[in-house]
Amino acid sequence: MKKVSMYTLSTCPWCRKTKAFFASHDVPYDFIDYDLADEATQKRIMAELDAKQATGFPFVRIGDDVVVGYNPARYQQLLGL
Amino acid sequence: MNVEARKRALVHFYTKVVTPLGYKFTPDEELKDFLLEQEVGLEQKHGVPFCPCQPITGERAHDMTLVCPCIPFHRAHYDYMKRCWCGLFVRQDVTDPDSLPQIPLSEVPRG
Repeated sequence: MKKVSMYTLSTCPWCRKTKAFFASHDVPYDFIDYDLADEATQKRIMAELDAKQATGFPFVRIGDDVVVGYNPARYQQLLGL
Repeated sequence: MNVEARKRALVHFYTKVVTPLGYKFTPDEELKDFLLEQEVGLEQKHGVPFCPCQPITGERAHDMTLVCPCIPFHRAHYDYMKRCWCGLFVRQDVTDPDSLPQIPLSEVPRG
């Protein structure tokens, strides 16, 4: 199973839907809520977002692929579900 | 702070801003209420109702483009999606907001 990690915001409903999607498919994932992270971590996260021209959350990494925005169809495709 | 009163005030103010832009509140009342609640919280924390789904960096020029309603700063992107990033606002012709996915800026055609 590909590794899943994501950057999210605690205030974002689409980030909650994204977490719920992986939980409901029994896919383990790591996450960092950007707004609750320390400044150094926020800067590192922003550098990753900027590198992908991502302007918002959720920012999901599935293996080597990145999906910006809530996109369950893409998650399923990348995970082969 | 009376959160419900502040949410009603934001609705009153936002309506005047987004209507001339061709947008309206999402018909999804649950999502609308949740997002407004988050914005009241962000306003209490930061003094400004920032978008609940985009990163505040502390860099003023960047962060000011995320003050709700942030439509004018992301016009081409949101017009393409027919919604704003967090989904609080949709184009006025939208009846089914669930059919509108978040589309990253990198996938929005230029020009």
